[in-house]
Amino acid sequence: MREFLLVCLAAASAFAQAGKFGALTNSDDVGNPLLKGSAVFDASTGQYRITGSGTDIWGRADQFHYVWREISGNFAVTATAQFLTEGIEHRKAVIMLRKSLDTDSPFIQVAIHGNGMPAVQFRSSKGDITNPVDFPVEGPGIYKLKLVRQGNTITAWIAKDGEALRELGHTSNDLGSPVLVGLGVSSHTQAAANTVLFSDVSVEQIAPPAGKKQ
Amino acid sequence: MSTMRELLLISILAASAFAQGGNLGAFTDAGDVGNPARKGSTEFNASTGQYRITGSGANIWGNQDQFQFVWREMSGNFAVTATLQFLGQGEQHRKAGIMFRQSLDTDSAYGDIVIHGNGMPGMQWRNKSGEITNTFDFPFDSPAKFKLKLERNGPRVIVSFAKDGAELKRIANTEVTFRNPLLVGLVVCSHKADASDTVVFSDVSVEQLPPPAGKKQ
Repeated sequence: MREFLLVCLAAASAFAQAGKFGALTNSDDVGNPLLKGSAVFDASTGQYRITGSGTDIWGRADQFHYVWREISGNFAVTATAQFLTEGIEHRKAVIMLRKSLDTDSPFIQVAIHGNGMPAVQFRSSKGDITNPVDFPVEGPGIYKLKLVRQGNTITAWIAKDGEALRELGHTSNDLGSPVLVGLGVSSHTQAAANTVLFSDVSVEQIAPPAGKKQ
Repeated sequence: MSTMRELLLISILAASAFAQGGNLGAFTDAGDVGNPARKGSTEFNASTGQYRITGSGANIWGNQDQFQFVWREMSGNFAVTATLQFLGQGEQHRKAGIMFRQSLDTDSAYGDIVIHGNGMPGMQWRNKSGEITNTFDFPFDSPAKFKLKLERNGPRVIVSFAKDGAELKRIANTEVTFRNPLLVGLVVCSHKADASDTVVFSDVSVEQLPPPAGKKQ
């Protein structure tokens, strides 16, 4: 029985790492954190169990676990994130758009911190600092996140514990196409890894901004 | 009658000179940043505490800015509160608000909370001299009178605002590293080189705040 279970787990793991990530295609660590991360996708529930370590997604370089796909043009991504492990107050679960897998790549993300602080954060050019937009702390919970790109406009939404999504606001960011879009987890410390359960994940192409050519 | 006119004219000139020379209430100076083609102006009414600020300029955006600024120097932690109302019509993206700024250079580092002519609140910041402007715009519906607050707490720049007399609400914060002292004040920009806009600021306060608990400045 134990052997059977082990085989199943090994098979599931190999399956997951091979590229079957539902709406996404790949999984890996960015920035070479000391503790390796992992991602397991359950096709029957559509849930992602993502374990990530790393000092942070912050400053001039990032360390985290990323599950992504390539996408171009205009799109909307939604996901509901729940921290399954205790950890540092500022551990992060994010929906991210990222130019490349380089540790210092330009990116923009909507993040929920472990303490329930929503944030929109971005690095506009390679190797630059990260710009934060932090919102008042709402406390730990299950958070639905949404990030939309239309033209160069990136709009972020959030909702706590089943409430209706509310818009946090928007900014401009020219990451170009194609871009890597996906889910990220960082423990905010080299000494630990955190696991986040992402459910109701969707990635959809949407129409370009009204009256504008791409 | 002619004497009366002369007297009035002298009074206006005197008031104008007075305003630019130092009686700016909570602030000490007024002037244009970025040399806009149309000169701006500032009138402070000591009896009502209101500022009538007229500003022109292409924008506060990108790598450099043009606008009318009314400011004072400050160091450490502080908060500025003001209620603003645009007068007349103008560009959708004309801007008025509260700014922290390292210097009077057109490409200086800054952080601000501005209300656009269409009613959109925006937090903007330039981290270093000559860099691009970063922006985050908040959801909005229509133009109105807005109460704004901008606070410096260490590296944090914290924005609060409220529409049409609602209670002031903390909305978000970013981070900008300024050296002490820096310039703190009110801004108006028409978002168009050949236009000027006038904004009335009322209930303006500038408050020095203690350093964060347990931290040295």
